Amino acid sequence: MARVVVDVMPKPEILDPQGKAVTGALARLGFAGMSVRQGKRFELEFDGEVTEERLAEVRRAAETLLANTVIETFDVRVEPTPESAGAVDEAQNSQAGNNQAENNKAENSKAENNKAENSKADGSEAQSAEEAELAARAG
Amino acid sequence: MSPKIGVVTFPGSLDDQDALRAIRKCGGEPVSLWHGDDNVDGVDAVILPGGFSYGDYLRCGAISRFAPVMAEVIKAAEAGMPVLGICNGFQILCEAQLLPGALIRNDVRVFVCKDQDLQVESVDTTWTSEFTVGQTITLVLKNGEGGYVADEDTLRRLEGEGRVVFRYLNGNPNGSFHDIAGICNERGNVLGLMPHPEHNIDPLTGPTQDGRAFFSSVFNFLAAKV
Repeated sequence: MARVVVDVMPKPEILDPQGKAVTGALARLGFAGMSVRQGKRFELEFDGEVTEERLAEVRRAAETLLANTVIETFDVRVEPTPESAGAVDEAQNSQAGNNQAENNKAENSKAENNKAENSKADGSEAQSAEEAELAARAG
Repeated sequence: MSPKIGVVTFPGSLDDQDALRAIRKCGGEPVSLWHGDDNVDGVDAVILPGGFSYGDYLRCGAISRFAPVMAEVIKAAEAGMPVLGICNGFQILCEAQLLPGALIRNDVRVFVCKDQDLQVESVDTTWTSEFTVGQTITLVLKNGEGGYVADEDTLRRLEGEGRVVFRYLNGNPNGSFHDIAGICNERGNVLGLMPHPEHNIDPLTGPTQDGRAFFSSVFNFLAAKV
């Protein structure tokens, strides 16, 4: 799954009454010195990869319907989805990932050894407890 | 034979019934058109009425502009058929690029509903020939997104070509550039305006009957054509 985001904003020279209202509300709430312009964000999801053709198609859709270019500008960009973000991270951090994995492996084996030792210890303890009980019964 | 004037009903249209009634009261034959129709056969003119078509989703008129019937309306308008866009209808005409510019939220940030004074600026359209230039009329104005905007070139062209048809008088109610209340296309057969002529045809429901001249204008045009 791939995601393309289209951001639509009112052109700078076009009055943005909604942004002005939000600016005023923020100021009343104590968020001073913030000037807001309000736009729209569209998320378009596709199966498969985002190709150049796909992007060109999205730009056409934005120009045809999503934005009115008389009063608005738009911006098209590819946004990593959670799964593709995972793939990208793995690819980019493969070295670090491998190191991490090796570390993990080392830690795990160490932990397992400890566990084994513990259980051995437990076992011996149990054994000694058993022996103690037997000794007590015998006594 | 009285002229047949079609009124398109979109989902969310509000003033389609008033427009149909106004046509009948002024002596025309009203024809209901549906947004899903694929033809406007048999009508002599089309009115796109006021309201909130498609809930004003995305932008006012942005989705209606692609309704099936609009393909036919655009074709007919380009061939010279009189088309009147009132309020939401004006927004649809701008989205359809039959008229230049766009309508944005009122600068006053409130829904405006009032009897609005207007100055008639052009009588060279199929919908305003019964007025006189400079005449003051009063029509109902009721909208939240009636601020007319266009770039400087477009405004210069509209002014230069006499295509500003109505201007707000006694105060600009919504921040429209050049106090523009209505404009037409180059040919003068497509007119869009924010005020509502269909609400001002009956002394019972309006302070004036100034809306009647829109209908008598188009009837005269159509009669002269035949």
